[in-house]
Amino acid sequence: MTTSPTSDQQNSGRRSGITGKQKKRISWALQSFLILIAIIIMLTPIVWIFMAAFKTHVDVYQLKLFFTPTLENFGLVFDAPYYLGDKLLNSTIVAFVTVVFAIPIATMAAYSFSRFELRGETAMLVIILATQFVPAVVIILPFFVMFRDIGLLDTRLGLILVNLAIVMPFAIWMIKGFIDGIPMETEEAAMVDGSSRIQVIRNIVLPMAAPGLLTAGIFCFIIAWNEFLFALILTNKDAVTLPIGLALFKAEEGDLWNLLSAAGIIIMLPMFVLALIIRKYFVQGMTMGAVR
Amino acid sequence: MAEVTLKNLTKRWGDFIGVDNQSLEIHDKEFLVLLGPSGCGKTTTMRMIAGLEDPTDGEIRIGDRVVNDDLPRDRDVAMVFQNYGLYPHMTIFDNIAYPLRVRGTPKNEIEPRVRKAAEQVELTEFLHRKPKALSGGQRQRVALARAIVRTPKVFLMDEPLSNLDAKLRVTMRAELKHLSRALKITTIYVTHDQIEAMTLADRVAVMKNGIIQQLGTPDEIYNDPANLFVAGFIGSPAMNLINGSVQDGHFVTTGGTKLVRVAAPDSPSVVLGVRADDMRVAEEGEGDLDVRIYAFENTGEATLLTVQWGKQRVIAKGDRHLRKDQDDIVSVSLDSDHLYLFDPETGDRIKR
Ligand SMILES: Nc1ncnc2c1ncn2[C@@H]1O[C@H](COP(=O)(O)OP(=O)(O)O)[C@@H](O)[C@H]1O
Ligand SMILES: [Mg+2]
Repeated sequence: MTTSPTSDQQNSGRRSGITGKQKKRISWALQSFLILIAIIIMLTPIVWIFMAAFKTHVDVYQLKLFFTPTLENFGLVFDAPYYLGDKLLNSTIVAFVTVVFAIPIATMAAYSFSRFELRGETAMLVIILATQFVPAVVIILPFFVMFRDIGLLDTRLGLILVNLAIVMPFAIWMIKGFIDGIPMETEEAAMVDGSSRIQVIRNIVLPMAAPGLLTAGIFCFIIAWNEFLFALILTNKDAVTLPIGLALFKAEEGDLWNLLSAAGIIIMLPMFVLALIIRKYFVQGMTMGAVR
Repeated sequence: MAEVTLKNLTKRWGDFIGVDNQSLEIHDKEFLVLLGPSGCGKTTTMRMIAGLEDPTDGEIRIGDRVVNDDLPRDRDVAMVFQNYGLYPHMTIFDNIAYPLRVRGTPKNEIEPRVRKAAEQVELTEFLHRKPKALSGGQRQRVALARAIVRTPKVFLMDEPLSNLDAKLRVTMRAELKHLSRALKITTIYVTHDQIEAMTLADRVAVMKNGIIQQLGTPDEIYNDPANLFVAGFIGSPAMNLINGSVQDGHFVTTGGTKLVRVAAPDSPSVVLGVRADDMRVAEEGEGDLDVRIYAFENTGEATLLTVQWGKQRVIAKGDRHLRKDQDDIVSVSLDSDHLYLFDPETGDRIKR
């Protein structure tokens, strides 16, 4: 045997007509093509909304790519009769307060699950997780009746309570994952060094879990911000949130697509910002781990 | 003044016994090493002393105080963990300062004390870094500095060198020894490495299956092992253990070869222990017993001859200039002053 493996490869490549390099290129092209299709499928509606939001009432029904953009839609949605500002305020307050309560409570629960041997721990964790799988429509009627009886219908407080119930299981599981990643040894070192349990949590656990808490908080905010079904049934005037507010633009003269799109953008904008933040901290939170 | 006294200390998990009814007195300023194979209960013992594990039974005393019900922070101990347990979100300075801060040391004292501790372990140039940006050996030093920044009653160290590479381990071992001599604080040190135990300890407690097999100075442990386990565990290469019997005051191998005079009553079954160092190697016919070489190893500072002795293999240490080959015949002699006899049933030493 005098031929080296490389020249062998080249020979066989020439014979079959496709070299290894060409194969790589083809597979790369195929991958790019598939990704491109996925991107188009996902982005088309969003691009459409973005354009519609800046079109006039007349332009919106035409699939024109070039038009004179206008900002008047963003003005109209905040005016009578839509008053989107009120809904924006409701959504902001509900989502924000939900997070402010959910994260500390979930952190305490997650720490206990992670670090102490609790009686019935597995059962509790499973039950908490199982609540996530109950379809909202199933429990919405009891909620409606309860809220009607205690006067929580169409209130922000009512929505906050509902959203807390929705995000808590998720938050507990997610934060527990982050706390599990903190080595026990680090906490024990802090205890021997002279910390009480509370000091361990404040000085060691919370700073180390911070990226995780932030990530969980943002996820909870997004869930609460986008929550639709409960807000639809449990509010009608005072506590209406943005997703429900969209229905306002279904008028007698037809769907006001340009206004709907402007409102849609107002809903989406914070999500884009938060997604960017998550991307940064999620990775950081995942790789934080132990330092040996 | 801080002795540590363990009285009938026991730790059980269900049916499993981690530490079995052990008593131990560690003197003030003593460096005591808990030595034993993995899983023998060393860490558990240490964690009970630190207050990180509740004893099932028994009493722990630090100084004059029974500390069983004290929280870790009230026991006034400092601990170096196997994986160091550093605080990754704090700088090295803050890591070392943490025990001071959390115990309310006046602000103006913190900086000089942190600097002094950092100097003692040669870390001063890294104080502003995070642990992530340090090498294994440097992290190890941070853990040490964090322990010595206070003056605790007791130091607890759980295999502090086991995560370092072999070369660094030797350097750090010497540094640790130097530091401990300078600080003069009661220290309990856990390791499975007998060289660490021999070199660092004032006294060694050899453990197996949750039970202390022997407590003594490194000399005693090495030269006067209490039983088969200690004899086999201490020393490298391990002590040769040869089965046989005692007849007419002589040790006779299972093969029937009458070997050396031993000062022991006749017995049908004994184990003879002899260290490689205590065997003399001579040319064929010039010693007690001619044997064939199974393997010849030259370590540089000595030669190791594994020889076939009936059905058993035995290691003898030869002069570093000795040159032999596999299947050569040499003659070995035993030094009757350095022989150990054990009861194969109980493992106990048979003393003359
Ligand atoms: N929390 C626990 N539950 C049950 N068994 C344990 C626990 N911690 C340690 N053990 C067992 O106790 C024995 C002694 O452990 P340890 O003290 O860590 O040994 P080592 O001497 O290697 O430090 C081991 O067999 C270990 O598996
Ligand atoms: Mg251990």
